[in-house]
Amino acid sequence: MAYGIWKIGFGNQSLISSNTNTLPGKLQQRSQRKSGQWIAVVLLLALLSIALILGHSSALLWAELSWSDFLLLLRLGSLVVVLLVAIAGIYSLVSQFAFWEGWLNGLPRPAEFFAQANQELAGSSGPAAVGLPSPYGRYLVYLDGIHQVEQDHPPLITEFLDTLEAGLPADTCLVRGLEAYTVMPGALIDEAGSSWFWQRVFALQQRHRSWLVQLLCAVLVQGNNVIKVGISSDRRYGPILNYELALKISLRLGKLGYGRGHELVLLGYSGGGEMALGVADYLRRICHAPVRIITCCGVFSGNQMLEGVERIHMLVGSRDPVASLGPLAYPGRSPLLPLSNWNRAKRQGFVQQVRIPGMSHNGPIGPFAPKYRLKVIQAILAILGGSTAESAERGSNSAGTPSASAGHR
Amino acid sequence: MESFLAQAEHRLSVLGNWLIHADLGLSLLLLVGLSISLSHIFALLANRLSVRQIVWQWVLDGLVLSLAFLLGYLIDMVLLSLYASRPVHPAQFLNGAGACLVPALAYILVAAPYIGDLIAVVIWAFVHLNVITFLHARFGLGYGEALLLTTPGFVLALVLVWIEFRQIWRTAYGKLASEISL
Repeated sequence: MAYGIWKIGFGNQSLISSNTNTLPGKLQQRSQRKSGQWIAVVLLLALLSIALILGHSSALLWAELSWSDFLLLLRLGSLVVVLLVAIAGIYSLVSQFAFWEGWLNGLPRPAEFFAQANQELAGSSGPAAVGLPSPYGRYLVYLDGIHQVEQDHPPLITEFLDTLEAGLPADTCLVRGLEAYTVMPGALIDEAGSSWFWQRVFALQQRHRSWLVQLLCAVLVQGNNVIKVGISSDRRYGPILNYELALKISLRLGKLGYGRGHELVLLGYSGGGEMALGVADYLRRICHAPVRIITCCGVFSGNQMLEGVERIHMLVGSRDPVASLGPLAYPGRSPLLPLSNWNRAKRQGFVQQVRIPGMSHNGPIGPFAPKYRLKVIQAILAILGGSTAESAERGSNSAGTPSASAGHR
Repeated sequence: MESFLAQAEHRLSVLGNWLIHADLGLSLLLLVGLSISLSHIFALLANRLSVRQIVWQWVLDGLVLSLAFLLGYLIDMVLLSLYASRPVHPAQFLNGAGACLVPALAYILVAAPYIGDLIAVVIWAFVHLNVITFLHARFGLGYGEALLLTTPGFVLALVLVWIEFRQIWRTAYGKLASEISL
């Protein structure tokens, strides 16, 4: 029955919205009411802050500003910025945790994930079958950067993924269209409590003639995704958010016929690198499979549990200013903290870096641009080819030495 | 029996007078405790508590955290009277020290992801500097001496707050671990 509720919940999002007599419907209504109240509080605080600043600013301007007045304005402005960022982060958390409290009531245990999903695929009502045969031995999951708005990727990235998919070995399945910055299996535009806001933002972005308005809308979306990256890297909230995202990825893998034990490779671009590192250990436990991570121009904290990951490959452009900010934004990656999870992983040889000369973070010299696309794809294929060789070596070793492990730590 | 009742009445009236004189400090202590407790409300959500349970837990945690600060200030008072030989009126000290906790009223912002730790460090630093300045201004102590006398109480309050929240989050992660136990 729990699986039935889950399927209703995520097989058809609109069914939840229209049918409030079901448990998921009632839970979503409650979540929406709570979110509405939080929206009112956030708006009121923002209005008060703006009124305070404007009132103070106009008085100062009237009296002819001096240098000390400018400094005071600067201090007040900085304080307001910090307040707004903090409030936006807290509001984002509210929607996450209201979701956490309500969503998991109808979710089957991870131990039963793939058995039930494979039963659905096979149309069998017999005993749960673990690890039904799949044509793929490896699943490559792509997690997009903070520019991600919806399941469909931008044209450049779509071309990149098409080219990558064409070059993949026959036993590798590319999983794309995953929204890494929403926890519900739906688009940002459908998020409970904030859909009214995002619908307007997306409408403005698509129809407004002014490039400034379009830019502002894009910044708002990216700001939301940056907050999610911040939540993922936070030592308090990260474990829970990353678990939620791992469940979402597992659900998608189950729909694609994933069988336990098949290798998982997480390919994260920019902020997607943080999400990839966050979900890796959870996916390893849920899927009982080795997990490998490839970050492309990745921005990540390295605070996560990394001991269970097979290897982390970093594709870094020599002209990428954003990825190089990583150690500054996340002290755990700085060499000054040798005991951090990231630095321990580096010392143990789990981290491999591949530099691509001349490549930047995005734009005409970014990884998805025609100039560097093939280089990045070749690097990814080389990593996958290397992992295949390692898997084969592990297989032959385990055949010769019965006591050797099957690639799990 | 009558003398016992008279004594009890006298002591209660003394306590009542003291509470009235220390009302500002105690009120601020309580508000700060509630603010700090509110900053970790997501841990209560992660523990899957109901709304009523969350409210009760928030109030109880707030009282415990207020008690942590009160213990810290009691240590400050004892050290001040023992080692600095300054006369300390508890109600006046609490009112003054309670005012030093005003920055901690914004502790709820520590709930923000990523920047929460930075905000917490800034608030704790402000509070400690305020208490040091309070001792310097009210009791005529040098800054170095004030730092030495206030640090033990500050560290105790910090440790108690840390223990309180560590417990809440560990319980939440325990629930998470039980979900993914395979």
